[in-house]
Amino acid sequence: MLAIELIAQGLIQGSIYALVALGLTLVYGLLRILHVAHAALFTLGGYVGVMVCNASGNLAVGFFCAALVSGVGGVVMFRLAYQPLLSQPPYVALIASIGLFIASEEAFRIIFGAQGMSFTNPSLEQQFVLGGGLQFKLAELLVMLSTATIIGVLAWLQSRTRVGIACQATVSDPQMAQSFGISLRQVRDINFFVGSALAGFAGVWVALLNNLVEPTMGSVPSYKALAIIVLGGLGSVPGTLAAALLLGVIEAFGTIYLGDILDRNAIAFAFLIAVLMVRPQGLFARS
Amino acid sequence: MKSRIPHFSLLTVAAAAMTFAASPAWAQLKLGFNVPLTGFAAADGKSSLEGAKLAVEQANAKGGVAGQKIELVVYDDQATPKEAVPSATKMVEKDQVIAAVSGSYSGSTRAAAVIFQRAQVPYVVAYAIHPDITLAGDYMFRVSAMGEVQGRGGAKLAQNLGKKKVVLVTLKNDFGQALAAGFKEAAPKLGINIINEYEYGMPDRQFGPLVSKIKSDNPDVIYASGYFFTAGPLVSQLRAAGVTAPIIGQEGYDSDKFIEIAGPASEGTYITTSLDRDSDAPATKAFLADYRKATNSGADMVAAASFTATAVAIEGLKKTGGKGGAALRDAIAAGSYDMPIGKLEFNDLHEVKKDIQVQIVKDKTFRRHSVISDPVLLAPPTKAK
Amino acid sequence: MPAADPEVQTMNYEISLLTTMAIAVMFALSLNLITGFCGQISLGHATFQGVGAYTAAMLGKAGLPFLATLPMAMVLAGLLGVVVGLASLRVRADFLAITTMGVGFLFVGIVRQQEFLGGELGISSIPDHGLGRVGFMALALVMCIGVAALSMYIKRSWMGRVFNGIAEDEDTMRVLGIDVPRYKLAAFAMGTALAGMSGAFYTYHLNFIGAESFGFVESITVLSMVVFGGIGSVPGVIIAAALLSVLPAWFQVIGDYKLLVYGGLLFLMMRFSPNGMAGLAQHVASTKWFPTGGRS
Repeated sequence: MLAIELIAQGLIQGSIYALVALGLTLVYGLLRILHVAHAALFTLGGYVGVMVCNASGNLAVGFFCAALVSGVGGVVMFRLAYQPLLSQPPYVALIASIGLFIASEEAFRIIFGAQGMSFTNPSLEQQFVLGGGLQFKLAELLVMLSTATIIGVLAWLQSRTRVGIACQATVSDPQMAQSFGISLRQVRDINFFVGSALAGFAGVWVALLNNLVEPTMGSVPSYKALAIIVLGGLGSVPGTLAAALLLGVIEAFGTIYLGDILDRNAIAFAFLIAVLMVRPQGLFARS
Repeated sequence: MKSRIPHFSLLTVAAAAMTFAASPAWAQLKLGFNVPLTGFAAADGKSSLEGAKLAVEQANAKGGVAGQKIELVVYDDQATPKEAVPSATKMVEKDQVIAAVSGSYSGSTRAAAVIFQRAQVPYVVAYAIHPDITLAGDYMFRVSAMGEVQGRGGAKLAQNLGKKKVVLVTLKNDFGQALAAGFKEAAPKLGINIINEYEYGMPDRQFGPLVSKIKSDNPDVIYASGYFFTAGPLVSQLRAAGVTAPIIGQEGYDSDKFIEIAGPASEGTYITTSLDRDSDAPATKAFLADYRKATNSGADMVAAASFTATAVAIEGLKKTGGKGGAALRDAIAAGSYDMPIGKLEFNDLHEVKKDIQVQIVKDKTFRRHSVISDPVLLAPPTKAK
Repeated sequence: MPAADPEVQTMNYEISLLTTMAIAVMFALSLNLITGFCGQISLGHATFQGVGAYTAAMLGKAGLPFLATLPMAMVLAGLLGVVVGLASLRVRADFLAITTMGVGFLFVGIVRQQEFLGGELGISSIPDHGLGRVGFMALALVMCIGVAALSMYIKRSWMGRVFNGIAEDEDTMRVLGIDVPRYKLAAFAMGTALAGMSGAFYTYHLNFIGAESFGFVESITVLSMVVFGGIGSVPGVIIAAALLSVLPAWFQVIGDYKLLVYGGLLFLMMRFSPNGMAGLAQHVASTKWFPTGGRS
């Protein structure tokens, strides 16, 4: 049935959004920075994933390397760009982030070419027929599955492990956390690493689904993710997940039925603005 | 970005400074070229530049024009009018180009056209398809078929394939909309029934909802406009979802990258274009071979069109012995050209009349499928209109 | 043989550049009112330039002379600005940034779908302004100077102080009895109206507008100009806008790398001089000219 298919497609897109937005919300929750350059790590992950997979023939290795490289890249970004700017008003970090993002998009274009890169042997293409006319590529199913798993693991880690609780404490009250002996720097490094690794991971998924990585592939996620974290309530992991999935579904229906009036981005942002007017703190804000 | 024919650039500076000097023996003929080298259209810009450069290199290898070498003066316009206007102004005033070629999209080309027309500099447009461009004046020339014409050709192809129910998937820009307009105009006359039309934006790569909806529409054939970076994912996703209806694309698909991205899903895709990979025409064969040798990659439509536009401008210059202005305009208009994209002649609006090549993807390459030759249906607009 | 016709080496290119600069400075100063003076971060300012531009284009094609379109462009842009300003009252800081970003996308998304606004193809063949190239440039420069003067005046006035207070500490201002919403709306109204004016000039400068010229990238660009110049600093913003607006033209030489350099410049400026060029200037002034302690 069409409606079910659309919902499924929305969830697939939403999963990708969620992976990217998570990293952003982790950073925002911690530092109140709109980390636009986060999307550059998404693109970086995509390129690394494709290159490593093409070179080694192994997709899992590609995923691993992409997450690793992006994670490290994120920490580097934090140390180089944001840490020195923590005491500045937020727009400084925003513009610095924008500059970094533009520069990185261009770097990708100059190094890897404007025409993009594809997998030499695309995988996970097998079809899964689920009855009722529903048919998915293995990749599509896996992206939803992996997103759910990762988020589940993260949520568990956040509430059950020392590190996770330390992160939560730092978000709520950095001073207090520090006085309890929590290393702020460590928490920040971890957050950036995890968030950026997720973005890199998402980049490889997108590369698989489209069989294309391009220098500009981060443009749309850069601002969509911002909308999602606001929608979800800044800093809330479950909120971001819900907002991302919801947005994916809204876009799925919107592009088909409202396509004459608004384009895809406009639909997403119309939804965002509508929600904010009713609930200015976002859908699932924490106190 | 000045073209990299280095040891002439110093001389160029000197030549530009001497506005009223008589032509020194080592002067250059400057051919302006606006192309998107950065920005969202950079992928096409790269191909376009390669095509134009090839034409200039070949002409210079044969001795240039009237004893002078041709220099390609390249400007990156990012495919926006905001950059195209100062670029065109600079080309006309500072570089004093004798003719110009557009390797860019419609928005920027249209803005630049006004400036070239005013300065009476002939402007040959490679692949920007907006109607207003040639309407800017008689110094404008276009070597590609306009969007509406191609769209009509697409409808004819659908009819030739015996299909009745069509779903249109339209890229939301002037290119996509012009194609859709042409298709919609011709469809009723050819017995084609458009059951639905959907639009998508330039940055879209994931078409899940669209694909689901099309599947439920169950058309006989799909007419989808786009560029290789949108069409590749689209076609791949359509086939992955089990949609088996044939897909008709256009010259935006015309690139080996399309096949690379879509992989096996690209097999059987039709495109209406100007470049026939299986052509026996010497001009086409030579171009394909030369392009591969020069760039180590296959030529696409954008490269072929840019090569053609540049070559047309150069042929005109040969006829006028290097003079520009009205003489060059008339020389170009009167010419008959044998180019990689076909035998070209301009009508009174400086649009070309030519057949449409239909290619199909077979065994991972574009092969000739058929030719649509219907002068009435494919007639470009004329001044009378 | 050089040119197509023996035209005298004209200054059209320079005139065109100066006009572009003037329009960009107007636009940046208008954002400076909202973001620099009043501290409201807007990621959708290009929308208001767009409203002004489309208004001028539609009226121009309907037969109105250029000068008559200016006030209408300002009014419509300002009205929309008030509406968005009202939205800003409900949300704070980072949420505002994203709401304004959303407004930007909505604008582009809606305009692109309307045939009467030109749809994807935009509006072209806008009638000539009738002022001649030099005249138009002169008018643009005059209005630009006017906006700068207005900005300086506001900065020193009571309103400017209130704006500053709101930017620094909104809650305290409320406690002090200031009608904060009214002042925020005033900032939005003025800033967006002036952006609308820059839009009208833009239309007549390029003779062609499309929805994509007023999108997210353009909003980011003008915000970057303001922050690069030194948020709140009128001379800083003027210089930054003038320079950055013609950067692509100057950087044609490094062609392929120009956006890379642009991004890098933005980043480096923020990293090393968060107060932008104004901050740099102050720093240089205090160390160079007043070695024995100056202003910090």
